[in-house]
Amino acid sequence: MELIRNFCIIAHIDHGKSTLADRLLERTGRVTAREMVTDQILDDNPLEQERGITIKLHAVQMDYTARDGKTYTLNLIDTPGHVDFSYEVSRSLAACEGALLVVDATQGVEAQTISNLYLAVDAGLEIIPIVNKIDLPSAATMIENVKQQIMDLIGCREEEIILASAKAGIGIEEILEAVVRRIPPPKGDPDAPLRALIYDSLYDPYRGVVVNVRVFDGTLREKDKVLFMATGQVYEVDEVGVLYMEQHRTGVLSAGNVGYFTASIRRVRDTKVGDTVTHAQRPCSEPIAGFREVKPMVFSGIYPADSDDFEDLRDALEKLALNDAAIHYEPETSAALGFGFRCGFLGLLHMEIVQERLEREFNQTIVTTVPNVRYLVRRTDGTEQWVENPAQMPEPVKIAEILEPYIRAQIITPTEYIGPIMQLCIERRGVLLGQHYLTQTRVDMTFELPLAEVVFDFYDKLKSISRGYASLDYEYSDYKPGDLVKLDILLNGDPVDALSTIVHRQKAYEWGRRLCSKLKKIIPRHLFEVVIQAAIGSKIIARDSIAPLRKNVLAKCYGGDVTRKRKLLEKQKEGKKRMKQIGRVEVPQEAFLAVLSLDDES
Amino acid sequence: MNRRRIGVYVHIPFCQHKCSYCDFYSVVSLDAMDRFVEALCHEIRLRSEYASEVEVATMFWGGGTPSLLDPDQFERIVGQLDETFRFSSDLEWTIEANPGTVALDKLRAYRRSGVNRISFGVQSFDDGELRFLERIHSARDAQRAVELARSAGFDNINVDIMYALPGQRTETHRANIERACALQPEHISAYSLVYEPNTPLYHRMRRGEILPLADEQEAELYMLTAELLERHGYRQYEVSNFAQPGRECRHNLLYWHRGEYLGFGPSAHSHWRNVRWSNIRSVHRYVEAVMNGTFPIAMSEQLSIEEQRNETVFLGLRADGVELSVVERLYGCSIAGAVADLIERWKQEGLATCDGTKLRLTARGYAVCDGLTVELLDVLERSCEVRQVL
Repeated sequence: MELIRNFCIIAHIDHGKSTLADRLLERTGRVTAREMVTDQILDDNPLEQERGITIKLHAVQMDYTARDGKTYTLNLIDTPGHVDFSYEVSRSLAACEGALLVVDATQGVEAQTISNLYLAVDAGLEIIPIVNKIDLPSAATMIENVKQQIMDLIGCREEEIILASAKAGIGIEEILEAVVRRIPPPKGDPDAPLRALIYDSLYDPYRGVVVNVRVFDGTLREKDKVLFMATGQVYEVDEVGVLYMEQHRTGVLSAGNVGYFTASIRRVRDTKVGDTVTHAQRPCSEPIAGFREVKPMVFSGIYPADSDDFEDLRDALEKLALNDAAIHYEPETSAALGFGFRCGFLGLLHMEIVQERLEREFNQTIVTTVPNVRYLVRRTDGTEQWVENPAQMPEPVKIAEILEPYIRAQIITPTEYIGPIMQLCIERRGVLLGQHYLTQTRVDMTFELPLAEVVFDFYDKLKSISRGYASLDYEYSDYKPGDLVKLDILLNGDPVDALSTIVHRQKAYEWGRRLCSKLKKIIPRHLFEVVIQAAIGSKIIARDSIAPLRKNVLAKCYGGDVTRKRKLLEKQKEGKKRMKQIGRVEVPQEAFLAVLSLDDES
Repeated sequence: MNRRRIGVYVHIPFCQHKCSYCDFYSVVSLDAMDRFVEALCHEIRLRSEYASEVEVATMFWGGGTPSLLDPDQFERIVGQLDETFRFSSDLEWTIEANPGTVALDKLRAYRRSGVNRISFGVQSFDDGELRFLERIHSARDAQRAVELARSAGFDNINVDIMYALPGQRTETHRANIERACALQPEHISAYSLVYEPNTPLYHRMRRGEILPLADEQEAELYMLTAELLERHGYRQYEVSNFAQPGRECRHNLLYWHRGEYLGFGPSAHSHWRNVRWSNIRSVHRYVEAVMNGTFPIAMSEQLSIEEQRNETVFLGLRADGVELSVVERLYGCSIAGAVADLIERWKQEGLATCDGTKLRLTARGYAVCDGLTVELLDVLERSCEVRQVL
C-alpha cells in the first residue's frame, strides 16, 4: 500500500486536463506514442472530444519507477468537467488522496476549478498546483499573476507550483515525482471488513455492469458475495481487476487500490455512485459517508418526430438508460406531439448529451420541448403537487402558491464585466449574495438565482457579455415561492400544450409578445390566416398573425417533364409529415424549442 | 385493331442566344446542327417498333428554337417522321418559333408541310423587359410575326407572355396582356418568371443584383392575368394556359391527361405504358449514343401505382380537373371520408368546384395549386392505405 498513489486532475475546460493525462500515460509506458492517434485518449466518446469536456469518468492505472528507485502504482481517476455532474466529481475525489490542480497559464483560475478545488480540499486531498501551457507566447506575462492566484487560493508556497506544458512535454517528470512524494499513500486494513466506494459504473452488454470502485478496507475477490449498502442488493462477484487502458483481470483487489468488478448486474442504476460495497457475510459497520440519491433537476418532453416511431424511441431510451443512471423518463401524452416521454436530467448539459446520444447512437429523430424545472404547487385545498410539465399546472384558481428551485451561482470574471453580469443576473431575478476579489482584476461573485432563469440560455449570455472570460459554477439550494404563471400559446384558438411555459408574472407580457413574433417567423404561411396568441388562463396577452398565402404554384412551362414536378410535390408531401398538426395549422418541429432562442430578438 | 393515339415531341436544342431565365436545354453553337438532324432521324428510326402500335394525334416541335432549322433540315426530319409514324387525320402539329427568326416564306413552308399551330415566345411587349430577358426580338418583331403567321394561313396561334419580372408594375403587365389579346391569338400561355438554378438570372438574384417580386405582388399579377384573359374570352384550362373555347392545346392536354408520348432529341421526355424516360442532355453525347445504335436515355422510371395516382392528381389539379371516379377505381382510394371533407372545404372557400365526380380548381384555387395538391396527396395517401394492404 505504501507504493500506491490515488489522484485525480482538477481543471477547467480547455485548460489541458486531457492532454496532461495523455502525457502521463505516455511517460509511464501505459500507451506508446504510436497509440496516441487520437489526442486525448481518456475522452473516448465523440461528444466529449467535440466539446472538449469529460462526461463519463475514466480511470487508469500506471506503473512509475521514481527517482528513489521504487516502482509505484499510480491510479489516475478522471473526473467529469461540468457542473451537472458535481456529485459524481465529489465521489471520485473521495476515492483519491491527492489532486493535480491544473490552471492554464494564459487564462487563470476559473469558477469550475475553484468549486472542484474546494470539494477536493474539503475531502482532505493533497493538492499539487500546476501552471500549464507555459510554452504559449501569451503565457510569459501571465505566469506570475496565475501563480499568485493559486497561492492566494490554496495558500501554498511558490516553489510548490510546477510549471508545465502538457502539449510540449515540459514538467511531466516533475509532476510524477510530486505525485509520488507529496501525495500520501492510502491507508486501510486489508483484513478488515470490506469497504469499497462506487465512483462510477458502466454497462457492458456481455458481462452486465462494470462497477468501478476504490477499496478502503478489506479485500475483494472473485466469487465473493457482496452487499450494496444503499440498495440492499446482494451479488456474487464474477470478475475483479484493475484498469489499464483496458480492463486487466487480477482476481483480487485490496485496500488502497482502485479497480473494477462485475457481478452480472443488469442495470447501471442498480449500482449507485457513492454507494458502499461490502461483504454480505461480514459487512462493515458504517457505509462510506457522502452518499446521496441523484435527482433530476431539469425536465423536457422527448417525442418521436414521426408518431409511428414511439416504440422505437422507448427501446432507445431503455438502452440509453442501461448506461446512464441519471436519466429518468416516463411516458406522457401531448395533444400537439402525440405519445412521448417526460425526461428528467441532472442539468442542461446532461439533457443535451441525452438528446444527442438518442440521435447519433440510436438513430432517433426526436422533437424536444422547452426544458423546465420541477415546481412545487401548493393548492388552495392544502394539498401539494410536484409539476414537471407546465401543461399539468393546475388552474390558477386552485393554486395557493408555486415554489421553484433556486441555485447558488458562483461567477468568476475579470472586473471589467461586473456591470453587465450584475445586470444579467438581476434580469434573471438574481440576488447578489457576496463578492470578493481573487486578485485586483478578478472577482468572485455569488448570486442566488431561480434555476428556471438559468435554464434559458443563461450560460451563453454570460459568455457573450464577458467575451468568454466569465466562468460559472452552481449548486442547488432550496425551493422558494415565486409569482409564477402559466403562459399558453394558441394557434387559431387551439392551445398547443407542448408550448406552454411557466414564467414570472412580470415577464409574462414580454415573453408572450416575443414568443408570438418568434413563432410567426417559424410557422410557414398557410392557405388561410394563422392567428398566434399568448394567454394567461383565459386572458389573451399577446397576438400576432401570419397572412395567408395567396399564390403557391409554380406557374411555369415544364413541357413533358412530369417526373421532376411530381418528385417536387412528393417531397413537399413528405415534408408535411414532419410537421406537427395543431388543428389545421402545421407547425415545424423547431417551433417547440423557439422559446430557447427568444433573446435573439432583443 | 385500333392504334393507340400518342403524342410526339421533337426537341431542337439550338438558339442564337440563350435567354437569361431559360433552363431548357439548348446550345448557341450551330455547328452541330447537321449532325444533330442526322442523329435525330436515326433516333426516330430506332423507335420503328414502337411506332407500329400507334398513330400520332399531336406533335410538338420545341426547343431551343425550332425555327432556326433551314428548309432542308426541316424537310429531312419531316420525311423521317412520315416514314416511321402514321399520323392521324386530325393531327395537331405545333411548332415553336422565335419572333426574331421568322419570315413569310418560312411560315408558308411550315403550313405546306402540315404544321397547323404555331407558338411564339413573345414574353413581353415592352422592349426594356425584352432586353432584361435577353430576347433577340423587339415588341414590333413580335407583333409582325403574329401578323405574318396569319397571312401565311395559321388559324391556331399561341403567344407566350411572361410576368412577375423584378420590379414589374401592374400596369406594365396589364398592357402586355392587352397587347397580346389585341393580336387575337387563339391561345395564350402566361407564365410567371421562375428563377431556375443554373440560369444567369438565378445567379444575378443570388448575388443580390435583382430582387424577385414579392409574393403579394406576384399573386396580384396572377389573379389579374386570369381576370383579364377571362374577360377577353380566354378560358383558363391550366395553371398558366388560356384558350378560346375549343382551342386548348391538345398536345398539352395529352401531357396533363397522362397520355403517352415519345420525345426525340436531347433532353426530350417520353411516357410509354407507365414508363417515363428522358434523353441525354447534351447534343454531343446524344449524337454519339444514337449513332452507336443505342437509345440516348439518361433516366428511366417505371411508375408505381402510387406514382401513377400522384400524377393523376397533380396533373389534373393543375389542368382541367381530376376525375375522382378514376382515382377511386384505378387506385383503390376511398373518396368518401377525409377526401370528401377536404373537397367540401375547398368548395366552401371558393378554391374548387366539384360537379359530379370531377374536381376542378377555380382561378383562386389555381393560384395556390401546389399547396392544395400536397394537401390532397397527403389525404389520399392515407385514404388508399387500407386497400393496398388488402
